Amino acid sequence: MRNFLKKLHWFDYLLVVLLVVFFGYIWLQIEGKLNYKWRWEIIPNYLFRYDDERGWVANVLVQGLVTTIRISIYASILAVILGTILGMARCAKSLTIRMLARTYLEFLRNIPPVVVIFIFFFFLSEQLVTALNIEGWARGIARQENNGIWEFFFGDMRRFPSVISGVIVLALFESAFVGEIVRAGIQSISRGQREAAQSLGMSWLDEMRFIIMPQALKKVLPPLANQFISLVKDSSIISLISVQELTYKTVELVSSTRAIFEAWITTAALYFGLCFSLSMLFRYLERPRKGQQAR
Amino acid sequence: MILTRRVLGIALAGMVSTGLAAPAFAQTTSQSLSSESVIETIKKRGVIKIGLSLFVPWSMRDKDGELIGFELDVGRKLAEDMGVDVEFSPTAWDGIIPALVAGKFDAIISGMSVTAQRNLTINFTDPYAFSGLTILANKEMTEGFALEDFNSPDVTFSARRGATPAIVIAKTFPEAQLLQFDEDGAATQEVLNGNAHATMASEPTPSREARTYPDVLHVPFDMKFDRRGEGFAVRKGDPDALNYFNNWIAHHWRTGWLKERHDYWFTTEDWADQVN
Repeated sequence: MRNFLKKLHWFDYLLVVLLVVFFGYIWLQIEGKLNYKWRWEIIPNYLFRYDDERGWVANVLVQGLVTTIRISIYASILAVILGTILGMARCAKSLTIRMLARTYLEFLRNIPPVVVIFIFFFFLSEQLVTALNIEGWARGIARQENNGIWEFFFGDMRRFPSVISGVIVLALFESAFVGEIVRAGIQSISRGQREAAQSLGMSWLDEMRFIIMPQALKKVLPPLANQFISLVKDSSIISLISVQELTYKTVELVSSTRAIFEAWITTAALYFGLCFSLSMLFRYLERPRKGQQAR
Repeated sequence: MILTRRVLGIALAGMVSTGLAAPAFAQTTSQSLSSESVIETIKKRGVIKIGLSLFVPWSMRDKDGELIGFELDVGRKLAEDMGVDVEFSPTAWDGIIPALVAGKFDAIISGMSVTAQRNLTINFTDPYAFSGLTILANKEMTEGFALEDFNSPDVTFSARRGATPAIVIAKTFPEAQLLQFDEDGAATQEVLNGNAHATMASEPTPSREARTYPDVLHVPFDMKFDRRGEGFAVRKGDPDALNYFNNWIAHHWRTGWLKERHDYWFTTEDWADQVN
Protein backbone atom coordinates (compact mmCIF):
# COMPACT_ATOMS: atom_id res chain seq x y z
CA MET A 1 0.00 0.00 0.00
CA ARG A 2 2.82 2.38 0.93
CA ASN A 3 4.56 1.63 -2.28
CA PHE A 4 1.40 2.28 -4.16
CA LEU A 5 0.94 5.69 -2.54
CA LYS A 6 4.54 6.63 -3.26
CA LYS A 7 4.06 5.92 -6.91
CA LEU A 8 1.28 8.52 -7.19
CA HIS A 9 2.12 11.74 -8.90
CA TRP A 10 0.58 15.10 -7.89
CA PHE A 11 -1.42 14.85 -11.09
CA ASP A 12 -3.05 11.65 -9.89
CA TYR A 13 -4.27 13.44 -6.75
CA LEU A 14 -5.68 16.21 -8.90
CA LEU A 15 -7.53 13.63 -10.98
CA VAL A 16 -9.03 12.04 -7.85
CA VAL A 17 -10.17 15.43 -6.57
CA LEU A 18 -11.73 16.27 -9.94
CA LEU A 19 -13.59 12.96 -10.03
CA VAL A 20 -14.94 13.50 -6.50
CA VAL A 21 -16.09 17.00 -7.40
CA PHE A 22 -17.70 15.75 -10.59
CA PHE A 23 -19.70 12.98 -8.92
CA GLY A 24 -20.52 15.22 -5.98
CA TYR A 25 -21.95 17.77 -8.38
CA ILE A 26 -24.09 15.13 -10.10
CA TRP A 27 -25.29 13.92 -6.71
CA LEU A 28 -26.21 17.45 -5.66
CA GLN A 29 -28.12 17.91 -8.90
CA ILE A 30 -30.06 14.73 -8.31
CA GLU A 31 -30.79 15.54 -4.67
CA GLY A 32 -31.61 19.20 -5.15
CA LYS A 33 -33.27 19.54 -8.53
CA LEU A 34 -34.85 16.15 -8.98
CA ASN A 35 -38.13 15.67 -7.22
CA TYR A 36 -37.92 12.03 -6.56
CA LYS A 37 -38.70 9.71 -3.70
CA TRP A 38 -36.00 7.08 -3.66
CA ARG A 39 -37.39 3.70 -2.77
CA TRP A 40 -34.38 1.42 -2.93
CA GLU A 41 -35.97 -0.87 -0.37
CA ILE A 42 -38.37 -2.32 -2.92
CA ILE A 43 -35.64 -3.45 -5.34
CA PRO A 44 -34.19 -6.53 -3.54
CA ASN A 45 -37.61 -8.14 -3.60
CA TYR A 46 -37.65 -7.85 -7.39
CA LEU A 47 -34.34 -9.67 -7.59
CA PHE A 48 -35.22 -12.57 -5.35
CA ARG A 49 -38.38 -13.13 -3.40
CA TYR A 50 -39.36 -15.58 -0.70
CA ASP A 51 -41.97 -18.07 -1.73
CA ASP A 52 -43.74 -19.90 1.08
CA GLU A 53 -43.54 -23.22 -0.73
CA ARG A 54 -40.30 -23.11 -2.68
CA GLY A 55 -38.09 -20.87 -0.58
CA TRP A 56 -36.07 -18.20 -2.36
CA VAL A 57 -36.95 -17.85 -6.02
CA ALA A 58 -35.90 -15.47 -8.77
CA ASN A 59 -38.23 -12.53 -9.33
CA VAL A 60 -38.66 -10.43 -12.47
CA LEU A 61 -35.20 -8.85 -12.72
CA VAL A 62 -33.24 -12.05 -12.18
CA GLN A 63 -35.63 -13.93 -14.47
CA GLY A 64 -34.88 -11.31 -17.10
CA LEU A 65 -31.14 -11.63 -16.50
CA VAL A 66 -31.31 -15.41 -16.91
CA THR A 67 -33.24 -14.99 -20.18
CA THR A 68 -30.63 -12.50 -21.38
CA ILE A 69 -27.85 -14.98 -20.61
CA ARG A 70 -29.67 -17.85 -22.33
CA ILE A 71 -30.43 -15.80 -25.44
CA SER A 72 -26.88 -14.46 -25.60
CA ILE A 73 -25.38 -17.95 -25.45
CA TYR A 74 -27.65 -19.45 -28.11
CA ALA A 75 -27.43 -16.42 -30.34
CA SER A 76 -23.64 -16.36 -30.18
CA ILE A 77 -23.36 -20.06 -31.01
CA LEU A 78 -25.64 -19.55 -33.99
CA ALA A 79 -23.83 -16.34 -34.94
CA VAL A 80 -20.46 -18.09 -34.90
CA ILE A 81 -21.75 -20.85 -37.16
CA LEU A 82 -23.39 -18.44 -39.59
CA GLY A 83 -20.48 -16.02 -39.35
CA THR A 84 -17.92 -18.72 -40.17
CA ILE A 85 -19.90 -19.71 -43.25
CA LEU A 86 -20.21 -16.06 -44.20
CA GLY A 87 -16.51 -15.42 -43.64
CA MET A 88 -15.59 -18.39 -45.81
CA ALA A 89 -18.04 -17.27 -48.47
CA ARG A 90 -16.39 -13.86 -48.47
CA CYS A 91 -13.12 -15.55 -49.45
CA ALA A 92 -14.66 -18.00 -51.91
CA LYS A 93 -13.39 -18.33 -55.48
CA SER A 94 -16.79 -17.92 -57.08
CA LEU A 95 -17.72 -14.30 -57.70
CA THR A 96 -21.44 -14.98 -57.17
CA ILE A 97 -20.90 -16.37 -53.69
CA ARG A 98 -18.55 -13.55 -52.80
CA MET A 99 -21.03 -10.95 -53.98
CA LEU A 100 -23.96 -12.58 -52.18
CA ALA A 101 -22.04 -12.69 -48.92
CA ARG A 102 -20.89 -9.12 -49.41
CA THR A 103 -24.45 -7.91 -50.08
CA TYR A 104 -25.78 -9.54 -46.93
CA LEU A 105 -22.98 -8.08 -44.91
CA GLU A 106 -23.17 -4.55 -46.27
CA PHE A 107 -26.92 -4.54 -45.76
CA LEU A 108 -26.60 -5.44 -42.12
CA ARG A 109 -23.68 -3.18 -41.41
CA ASN A 110 -25.31 -0.11 -42.85
CA ILE A 111 -28.77 -0.35 -41.37
CA PRO A 112 -29.41 0.60 -37.72
CA PRO A 113 -29.84 -2.49 -35.53
CA VAL A 114 -33.36 -1.50 -34.45
CA VAL A 115 -34.55 -1.46 -38.05
CA VAL A 116 -32.83 -4.77 -38.80
CA ILE A 117 -34.44 -6.32 -35.73
CA PHE A 118 -37.94 -5.23 -36.75
CA ILE A 119 -37.47 -6.40 -40.35
CA PHE A 120 -36.08 -9.77 -39.32
CA PHE A 121 -38.73 -10.21 -36.69
CA PHE A 122 -41.82 -9.51 -38.76
CA PHE A 123 -40.62 -10.89 -42.08
CA LEU A 124 -38.35 -13.75 -41.16
CA SER A 125 -38.35 -15.27 -37.72
CA GLU A 126 -42.09 -14.86 -37.40
CA GLN A 127 -42.60 -16.80 -40.65
CA LEU A 128 -40.18 -19.49 -39.52
CA VAL A 129 -41.96 -19.91 -36.21
CA THR A 130 -45.32 -20.18 -37.96
CA ALA A 131 -44.13 -22.45 -40.75
CA LEU A 132 -42.51 -24.96 -38.42
CA ASN A 133 -45.44 -24.80 -35.98
CA ILE A 134 -42.94 -24.17 -33.20
CA GLU A 135 -45.67 -22.66 -31.10
CA GLY A 136 -47.88 -25.73 -30.95
CA TRP A 137 -44.88 -27.92 -30.29
CA ALA A 138 -43.66 -25.71 -27.43
CA ARG A 139 -47.11 -25.57 -25.89
CA GLY A 140 -47.25 -29.35 -25.97
CA ILE A 141 -44.04 -29.51 -24.00
CA ALA A 142 -45.19 -26.81 -21.59
CA ARG A 143 -48.16 -29.00 -20.71
CA GLN A 144 -46.13 -32.14 -20.09
CA GLU A 145 -45.27 -33.10 -16.55
CA ASN A 146 -41.57 -33.77 -17.00
CA ASN A 147 -40.34 -30.73 -18.84
CA GLY A 148 -37.59 -29.83 -16.38
CA ILE A 149 -34.80 -30.17 -18.90
CA TRP A 150 -36.58 -27.96 -21.44
CA GLU A 151 -37.33 -25.38 -18.76
CA PHE A 152 -33.68 -25.40 -17.74
CA PHE A 153 -32.52 -24.61 -21.25
CA PHE A 154 -35.29 -22.37 -22.51
CA GLY A 155 -37.26 -21.13 -19.48
CA ASP A 156 -41.05 -21.17 -19.60
CA MET A 157 -41.84 -23.15 -22.76
CA ARG A 158 -44.91 -21.03 -23.47
CA ARG A 159 -42.49 -18.18 -24.13
CA PHE A 160 -40.35 -20.36 -26.40
CA PRO A 161 -41.46 -18.86 -29.75
CA SER A 162 -40.53 -15.36 -28.61
CA VAL A 163 -37.20 -16.57 -27.20
CA ILE A 164 -36.37 -18.40 -30.41
CA SER A 165 -37.26 -15.45 -32.63
CA GLY A 166 -35.12 -13.27 -30.41
CA VAL A 167 -32.22 -15.69 -30.80
CA ILE A 168 -32.60 -15.88 -34.58
CA VAL A 169 -32.88 -12.12 -35.00
CA LEU A 170 -29.87 -11.44 -32.81
CA ALA A 171 -27.78 -14.18 -34.42
CA LEU A 172 -28.51 -12.99 -37.96
CA PHE A 173 -27.59 -9.49 -36.98
CA GLU A 174 -24.35 -10.42 -35.21
CA SER A 175 -23.35 -12.96 -37.86
CA ALA A 176 -22.40 -10.08 -40.16
CA PHE A 177 -19.80 -8.86 -37.69
CA VAL A 178 -18.57 -12.35 -36.87
CA GLY A 179 -18.28 -12.93 -40.61
CA GLU A 180 -16.00 -9.93 -41.00
CA ILE A 181 -13.83 -11.09 -38.11
CA VAL A 182 -13.54 -14.58 -39.60
CA ARG A 183 -12.73 -13.16 -43.04
CA ALA A 184 -9.97 -11.04 -41.56
CA GLY A 185 -8.65 -14.17 -39.83
CA ILE A 186 -8.66 -16.21 -43.04
CA GLN A 187 -6.95 -13.47 -45.01
CA SER A 188 -4.31 -13.05 -42.34
CA ILE A 189 -3.03 -16.56 -43.04
CA SER A 190 -0.07 -16.18 -45.33
CA ARG A 191 -0.42 -17.09 -48.98
CA GLY A 192 2.32 -19.69 -48.60
CA GLN A 193 0.07 -21.85 -46.43
CA ARG A 194 -2.64 -21.94 -49.08
CA GLU A 195 -0.18 -22.60 -51.86
CA ALA A 196 1.42 -25.39 -49.86
CA ALA A 197 -2.00 -26.97 -49.30
CA GLN A 198 -2.82 -26.66 -52.99
CA SER A 199 0.51 -28.12 -54.04
CA LEU A 200 -0.24 -31.11 -51.82
CA GLY A 201 -3.34 -31.61 -53.95
CA MET A 202 -5.82 -30.77 -51.21
CA SER A 203 -9.36 -29.88 -52.22
CA TRP A 204 -10.73 -26.46 -51.23
CA LEU A 205 -12.71 -28.01 -48.37
CA ASP A 206 -9.69 -29.90 -47.01
CA GLU A 207 -7.54 -26.83 -47.34
CA MET A 208 -10.04 -24.84 -45.28
CA ARG A 209 -10.64 -27.61 -42.78
CA PHE A 210 -7.08 -28.67 -42.04
CA ILE A 211 -4.85 -25.74 -42.92
CA ILE A 212 -6.59 -22.38 -42.93
CA MET A 213 -9.40 -22.54 -40.36
CA PRO A 214 -7.40 -23.98 -37.42
CA GLN A 215 -4.87 -21.18 -37.73
CA ALA A 216 -7.40 -18.48 -38.55
CA LEU A 217 -9.77 -19.36 -35.68
CA LYS A 218 -6.93 -19.21 -33.19
CA LYS A 219 -6.16 -15.71 -34.36
CA VAL A 220 -9.72 -14.45 -34.26
CA LEU A 221 -10.60 -15.74 -30.79
CA PRO A 222 -9.90 -12.43 -28.98
CA PRO A 223 -12.02 -10.28 -31.33
CA LEU A 224 -14.73 -12.97 -31.22
CA ALA A 225 -14.80 -12.81 -27.44
CA ASN A 226 -15.13 -9.07 -27.73
CA GLN A 227 -18.01 -9.50 -30.16
CA PHE A 228 -19.71 -11.84 -27.70
CA ILE A 229 -19.65 -9.15 -25.03
CA SER A 230 -21.14 -6.64 -27.41
CA LEU A 231 -23.78 -9.23 -28.32
CA VAL A 232 -24.80 -9.40 -24.66
CA LYS A 233 -25.28 -5.65 -24.68
CA ASP A 234 -27.05 -5.65 -28.05
CA SER A 235 -29.48 -8.22 -26.72
CA SER A 236 -31.25 -5.34 -24.96
CA ILE A 237 -32.57 -4.25 -28.36
CA ILE A 238 -34.76 -7.31 -28.69
CA SER A 239 -36.85 -6.00 -25.81
CA LEU A 240 -38.49 -4.01 -28.63
CA ILE A 241 -40.00 -7.19 -29.99
CA SER A 242 -41.22 -8.02 -26.49
CA VAL A 243 -38.78 -10.81 -25.69
CA GLN A 244 -38.91 -11.05 -21.92
CA GLU A 245 -35.26 -10.31 -21.23
CA LEU A 246 -33.69 -7.97 -18.70
CA THR A 247 -34.47 -4.68 -20.43
CA TYR A 248 -38.05 -5.64 -21.14
CA LYS A 249 -38.60 -6.78 -17.56
CA THR A 250 -37.18 -3.48 -16.33
CA VAL A 251 -39.60 -1.52 -18.50
CA GLU A 252 -42.42 -3.57 -16.99
CA LEU A 253 -41.13 -3.01 -13.48
CA VAL A 254 -40.93 0.72 -14.08
CA SER A 255 -44.47 0.89 -15.38
CA SER A 256 -45.73 -1.11 -12.39
CA THR A 257 -43.84 0.58 -9.57
CA ARG A 258 -42.77 3.95 -11.02
CA ALA A 259 -39.34 3.38 -9.45
CA ILE A 260 -37.62 4.56 -12.63
CA PHE A 261 -34.14 5.32 -11.39
CA GLU A 262 -33.81 2.44 -8.94
CA ALA A 263 -34.91 -0.09 -11.56
CA TRP A 264 -32.70 1.24 -14.35
CA ILE A 265 -29.65 1.65 -12.13
CA THR A 266 -30.08 -1.92 -10.91
CA THR A 267 -30.38 -3.13 -14.48
CA ALA A 268 -27.29 -1.20 -15.50
CA ALA A 269 -25.42 -2.81 -12.60
CA LEU A 270 -26.61 -6.27 -13.68
CA TYR A 271 -25.48 -5.72 -17.29
CA PHE A 272 -22.19 -4.32 -16.11
CA GLY A 273 -21.60 -7.24 -13.76
CA LEU A 274 -22.35 -9.71 -16.54
CA CYS A 275 -20.22 -8.08 -19.23
CA PHE A 276 -17.36 -7.21 -16.91
CA SER A 277 -17.08 -10.74 -15.55
CA LEU A 278 -17.16 -12.01 -19.14
CA SER A 279 -14.31 -9.74 -20.13
CA MET A 280 -12.33 -10.86 -17.05
CA LEU A 281 -13.01 -14.46 -17.98
CA PHE A 282 -11.82 -13.96 -21.54
CA ARG A 283 -8.73 -12.14 -20.36
CA TYR A 284 -7.96 -15.09 -18.10
CA LEU A 285 -8.48 -17.56 -20.95
CA GLU A 286 -6.30 -15.56 -23.32
CA ARG A 287 -3.36 -15.23 -20.94
CA PRO A 288 -0.11 -16.55 -22.43
CA ARG A 289 0.45 -20.13 -21.31
CA LYS A 290 3.66 -21.91 -20.41
CA GLY A 291 5.32 -23.58 -23.31
CA GLN A 292 3.51 -21.33 -25.74
CA GLN A 293 5.97 -19.17 -27.54
CA ALA A 294 5.34 -15.48 -27.50
CA ARG A 295 4.56 -13.99 -30.87
CA MET B 1 -30.21 -15.15 -70.59
CA ILE B 2 -32.90 -17.18 -72.36
CA LEU B 3 -33.34 -19.15 -69.20
CA THR B 4 -33.91 -16.09 -67.07
CA ARG B 5 -36.41 -14.74 -69.55
CA ARG B 6 -38.30 -18.01 -69.52
CA VAL B 7 -38.38 -18.02 -65.71
CA LEU B 8 -39.65 -14.47 -65.73
CA GLY B 9 -42.37 -15.43 -68.16
CA ILE B 10 -43.53 -18.28 -65.99
CA ALA B 11 -43.54 -16.08 -62.92
CA LEU B 12 -45.62 -13.46 -64.73
CA ALA B 13 -48.08 -16.03 -65.97
CA GLY B 14 -48.42 -17.33 -62.46
CA MET B 15 -49.18 -13.90 -61.09
CA VAL B 16 -51.78 -13.15 -63.75
CA SER B 17 -53.61 -16.42 -63.25
CA THR B 18 -53.71 -15.91 -59.48
CA GLY B 19 -55.16 -12.47 -60.10
CA LEU B 20 -57.87 -13.89 -62.36
CA ALA B 21 -58.71 -16.60 -59.90
CA ALA B 22 -59.04 -14.18 -56.98
CA PRO B 23 -62.83 -13.62 -57.27
CA ALA B 24 -63.35 -17.36 -57.11
CA PHE B 25 -61.28 -17.48 -53.93
CA ALA B 26 -63.44 -14.76 -52.37
CA GLN B 27 -66.52 -16.96 -52.45
CA THR B 28 -64.91 -19.87 -50.68
CA THR B 29 -63.36 -17.46 -48.21
CA SER B 30 -66.70 -16.23 -46.96
CA GLN B 31 -67.87 -19.83 -46.55
CA SER B 32 -64.84 -20.84 -44.58
CA LEU B 33 -64.94 -17.67 -42.50
CA SER B 34 -66.76 -19.24 -39.59
CA SER B 35 -64.41 -22.19 -39.45
CA GLU B 36 -61.41 -19.87 -39.58
CA SER B 37 -62.68 -17.58 -36.83
CA VAL B 38 -60.26 -16.98 -34.04
CA ILE B 39 -62.89 -18.43 -31.71
CA GLU B 40 -62.38 -21.80 -33.42
CA THR B 41 -58.62 -21.48 -33.14
CA ILE B 42 -58.92 -20.75 -29.43
CA LYS B 43 -61.16 -23.76 -28.85
CA LYS B 44 -58.86 -26.03 -30.80
CA ARG B 45 -55.75 -24.75 -29.06
CA GLY B 46 -57.40 -24.78 -25.64
CA VAL B 47 -55.74 -21.46 -24.87
CA ILE B 48 -56.74 -17.85 -25.47
CA LYS B 49 -53.77 -15.59 -26.02
CA ILE B 50 -54.25 -12.01 -24.88
CA GLY B 51 -51.89 -9.17 -25.64
CA LEU B 52 -51.45 -6.40 -23.13
CA SER B 53 -49.14 -3.60 -22.17
CA LEU B 54 -48.56 -2.79 -18.52
CA PHE B 55 -50.41 0.27 -17.34
CA VAL B 56 -51.46 0.84 -13.73
CA PRO B 57 -54.12 -0.10 -12.68
CA TRP B 58 -55.24 -1.81 -15.86
CA SER B 59 -52.40 -4.30 -15.57
CA MET B 60 -49.18 -4.43 -13.58
CA ARG B 61 -46.71 -6.77 -11.90
CA ASP B 62 -47.23 -7.44 -8.22
CA LYS B 63 -44.47 -8.10 -5.67
CA ASP B 64 -44.17 -11.70 -6.82
CA GLY B 65 -43.74 -10.69 -10.45
CA GLU B 66 -47.23 -11.97 -11.29
CA LEU B 67 -49.59 -9.99 -13.49
CA ILE B 68 -52.54 -8.40 -11.72
CA GLY B 69 -55.05 -5.70 -12.62
CA PHE B 70 -58.41 -5.04 -14.18
CA GLU B 71 -57.42 -6.52 -17.57
CA LEU B 72 -56.21 -9.68 -15.91
CA ASP B 73 -59.53 -10.15 -14.12
CA VAL B 74 -61.35 -9.61 -17.41
CA GLY B 75 -59.05 -11.94 -19.34
CA ARG B 76 -59.22 -14.73 -16.76
CA LYS B 77 -62.99 -14.47 -16.50
CA LEU B 78 -63.30 -14.54 -20.29
CA ALA B 79 -61.13 -17.65 -20.52
CA GLU B 80 -63.06 -19.30 -17.71
CA ASP B 81 -66.36 -18.66 -19.49
CA MET B 82 -64.94 -20.05 -22.74
CA GLY B 83 -63.63 -23.09 -20.92
CA VAL B 84 -60.02 -22.58 -22.01
CA ASP B 85 -56.72 -21.58 -20.41
CA VAL B 86 -55.45 -18.06 -20.67
CA GLU B 87 -52.03 -16.80 -21.68
CA PHE B 88 -51.06 -13.15 -21.38
CA SER B 89 -48.38 -11.76 -23.68
CA PRO B 90 -46.99 -8.53 -22.29
CA THR B 91 -46.03 -6.50 -25.36
CA ALA B 92 -44.53 -3.07 -25.88
CA TRP B 93 -47.35 -0.60 -26.53
CA ASP B 94 -45.76 0.69 -29.73
CA GLY B 95 -45.81 -2.71 -31.36
CA ILE B 96 -49.01 -4.12 -29.89
CA ILE B 97 -51.24 -3.49 -32.93
CA PRO B 98 -48.72 -4.88 -35.47
CA ALA B 99 -48.30 -7.88 -33.18
CA LEU B 100 -52.07 -8.49 -33.14
CA VAL B 101 -52.23 -8.18 -36.92
CA ALA B 102 -49.28 -10.56 -37.26
CA GLY B 103 -51.22 -13.10 -35.21
CA LYS B 104 -49.10 -13.14 -32.06
CA PHE B 105 -52.25 -13.20 -29.96
CA ASP B 106 -56.00 -13.50 -30.40
CA ALA B 107 -57.09 -10.20 -28.88
CA ILE B 108 -55.75 -7.11 -27.20
CA ILE B 109 -57.32 -6.46 -23.81
CA SER B 110 -55.22 -3.58 -22.65
CA GLY B 111 -57.42 -0.59 -21.94
CA MET B 112 -57.17 0.40 -25.57
CA SER B 113 -59.54 3.26 -26.34
CA VAL B 114 -61.57 2.95 -29.48
CA THR B 115 -60.30 5.59 -31.88
CA ALA B 116 -61.16 6.16 -35.51
CA GLN B 117 -57.50 5.88 -36.45
CA ARG B 118 -56.93 2.51 -34.77
CA ASN B 119 -60.24 1.24 -36.03
CA LEU B 120 -58.94 1.51 -39.58
CA THR B 121 -56.45 -1.26 -38.83
CA ILE B 122 -58.23 -3.41 -36.27
CA ASN B 123 -61.76 -4.08 -35.06
CA PHE B 124 -63.04 -3.13 -31.63
CA THR B 125 -65.72 -4.73 -29.52
CA ASP B 126 -68.28 -2.74 -27.57
CA PRO B 127 -66.68 -0.93 -24.63
CA TYR B 128 -66.01 -2.95 -21.49
CA ALA B 129 -64.79 0.13 -19.63
CA PHE B 130 -65.02 3.90 -19.94
CA SER B 131 -62.34 6.39 -19.18
CA GLY B 132 -61.46 10.03 -19.43
CA LEU B 133 -58.22 11.93 -19.28
CA THR B 134 -57.39 14.54 -16.68
CA ILE B 135 -54.48 16.95 -16.49
CA LEU B 136 -51.78 16.22 -13.93
CA ALA B 137 -49.79 19.39 -13.40
CA ASN B 138 -46.80 20.65 -11.48
CA LYS B 139 -48.31 22.80 -8.69
CA GLU B 140 -45.63 25.46 -8.55
CA MET B 141 -45.23 25.91 -12.29
CA THR B 142 -48.91 26.15 -13.09
CA GLU B 143 -50.10 28.23 -10.15
CA GLY B 144 -53.17 30.21 -11.04
CA PHE B 145 -53.34 28.77 -14.54
CA ALA B 146 -56.74 28.73 -16.14
CA LEU B 147 -57.41 26.09 -18.75
CA GLU B 148 -56.56 28.50 -21.58
CA ASP B 149 -53.19 29.31 -20.01
CA PHE B 150 -52.00 25.81 -20.79
CA ASN B 151 -52.32 26.53 -24.49
CA SER B 152 -49.16 28.59 -24.81
CA PRO B 153 -45.72 28.02 -26.33
CA ASP B 154 -44.20 28.48 -22.84
CA VAL B 155 -46.01 25.41 -21.55
CA THR B 156 -44.52 21.95 -21.96
CA PHE B 157 -46.52 18.76 -21.80
CA SER B 158 -45.14 15.24 -21.50
CA ALA B 159 -46.86 12.04 -22.59
CA ARG B 160 -46.35 8.46 -23.59
CA ARG B 161 -45.53 8.09 -27.27
CA GLY B 162 -48.33 6.76 -29.43
CA ALA B 163 -50.86 6.73 -26.60
CA THR B 164 -54.14 8.64 -26.63
CA PRO B 165 -53.03 11.42 -24.23
CA ALA B 166 -50.29 12.52 -26.65
CA ILE B 167 -52.86 12.94 -29.40
CA VAL B 168 -55.37 14.72 -27.17
CA ILE B 169 -52.74 17.12 -25.85
CA ALA B 170 -51.65 18.00 -29.37
CA LYS B 171 -55.26 18.68 -30.32
CA THR B 172 -56.47 20.50 -27.19
CA PHE B 173 -53.33 22.56 -26.61
CA PRO B 174 -51.87 23.02 -30.09
CA GLU B 175 -49.60 25.88 -28.99
CA ALA B 176 -47.93 23.96 -26.16
CA GLN B 177 -44.73 21.93 -26.50
CA LEU B 178 -44.98 18.17 -26.24
CA LEU B 179 -42.25 15.86 -24.95
CA GLN B 180 -42.82 12.19 -25.71
CA PHE B 181 -41.54 9.17 -23.79
CA ASP B 182 -41.79 5.45 -24.15
CA GLU B 183 -43.37 4.86 -20.80
CA ASP B 184 -45.83 6.56 -18.54
CA GLY B 185 -43.46 6.68 -15.61
CA ALA B 186 -41.03 8.88 -17.49
CA ALA B 187 -43.77 11.29 -18.54
CA THR B 188 -44.87 11.78 -14.93
CA GLN B 189 -41.27 12.05 -13.77
CA GLU B 190 -40.69 14.99 -16.11
CA VAL B 191 -43.58 16.84 -14.48
CA LEU B 192 -42.19 16.00 -11.03
CA ASN B 193 -38.78 17.30 -12.02
CA GLY B 194 -40.24 20.50 -13.37
CA ASN B 195 -39.12 19.81 -16.93
CA ALA B 196 -42.72 19.70 -18.08
CA HIS B 197 -45.66 21.69 -16.79
CA ALA B 198 -48.20 18.92 -17.09
CA THR B 199 -49.11 15.57 -18.47
CA MET B 200 -52.39 13.92 -19.23
CA ALA B 201 -53.46 10.42 -18.32
CA SER B 202 -56.58 8.36 -17.80
CA GLU B 203 -58.02 8.41 -14.35
CA PRO B 204 -57.28 7.16 -11.75
CA THR B 205 -53.55 7.53 -12.40
CA PRO B 206 -53.40 11.35 -12.12
CA SER B 207 -55.31 11.38 -8.83
CA ARG B 208 -53.09 8.63 -7.42
CA GLU B 209 -49.92 10.46 -8.42
CA ALA B 210 -51.25 13.68 -6.89
CA ARG B 211 -51.89 11.82 -3.64
CA THR B 212 -48.35 10.35 -3.69
CA TYR B 213 -46.66 13.72 -4.23
CA PRO B 214 -49.12 16.21 -2.70
CA ASP B 215 -46.51 18.98 -2.48
CA VAL B 216 -45.60 18.95 -6.13
CA LEU B 217 -48.47 17.57 -8.20
CA HIS B 218 -52.12 18.36 -8.45
CA VAL B 219 -55.05 17.68 -10.71
CA PRO B 220 -56.16 21.27 -11.40
CA PHE B 221 -59.45 20.58 -13.18
CA ASP B 222 -62.23 18.11 -12.60
CA MET B 223 -62.98 18.28 -16.28
CA LYS B 224 -62.35 15.09 -18.19
CA PHE B 225 -61.01 15.28 -21.69
CA ASP B 226 -61.72 12.93 -24.48
CA ARG B 227 -64.17 10.58 -22.83
CA ARG B 228 -63.92 7.23 -24.53
CA GLY B 229 -64.79 3.62 -24.28
CA GLU B 230 -62.21 0.87 -24.18
CA GLY B 231 -62.83 -2.26 -26.18
CA PHE B 232 -61.11 -5.54 -26.94
CA ALA B 233 -59.19 -5.29 -30.20
CA VAL B 234 -59.40 -8.14 -32.69
CA ARG B 235 -58.19 -8.67 -36.25
CA LYS B 236 -60.40 -7.48 -39.09
CA GLY B 237 -62.63 -9.83 -40.99
CA ASP B 238 -63.74 -11.96 -38.05
CA PRO B 239 -67.45 -11.30 -37.34
CA ASP B 240 -67.75 -14.42 -35.18
CA ALA B 241 -65.15 -13.25 -32.71
CA LEU B 242 -66.72 -9.78 -32.53
CA ASN B 243 -70.13 -11.30 -31.89
CA TYR B 244 -68.81 -13.57 -29.17
CA PHE B 245 -66.86 -10.86 -27.34
CA ASN B 246 -69.68 -8.31 -27.67
CA ASN B 247 -72.18 -10.68 -26.15
CA TRP B 248 -69.76 -11.62 -23.40
CA ILE B 249 -69.27 -7.93 -22.55
CA ALA B 250 -73.00 -7.17 -22.73
CA HIS B 251 -73.71 -10.08 -20.41
CA HIS B 252 -71.20 -8.93 -17.83
CA TRP B 253 -72.49 -5.37 -17.95
CA ARG B 254 -75.95 -6.74 -17.15
CA THR B 255 -74.74 -8.87 -14.25
CA GLY B 256 -72.76 -5.92 -12.91
CA TRP B 257 -69.52 -7.92 -12.81
CA LEU B 258 -67.61 -5.52 -15.07
CA LYS B 259 -68.67 -2.50 -13.05
CA GLU B 260 -67.81 -4.20 -9.78
CA ARG B 261 -64.30 -5.15 -10.97
CA HIS B 262 -63.76 -1.75 -12.55
CA ASP B 263 -64.73 0.00 -9.30
CA TYR B 264 -62.40 -2.25 -7.34
CA TRP B 265 -59.35 -1.36 -9.43
CA PHE B 266 -60.18 2.24 -10.25
CA THR B 267 -61.93 3.75 -7.25
CA THR B 268 -60.37 1.87 -4.35
CA GLU B 269 -56.76 1.34 -3.34
CA ASP B 270 -57.39 -2.04 -1.71
CA TRP B 271 -54.93 -3.62 -4.13
CA ALA B 272 -52.14 -1.11 -3.54
CA ASP B 273 -50.29 -3.24 -0.97
CA GLN B 274 -49.95 -6.02 -3.55
CA VAL B 275 -47.68 -3.81 -5.62
CA ASN B 276 -45.24 -2.25 -3.17
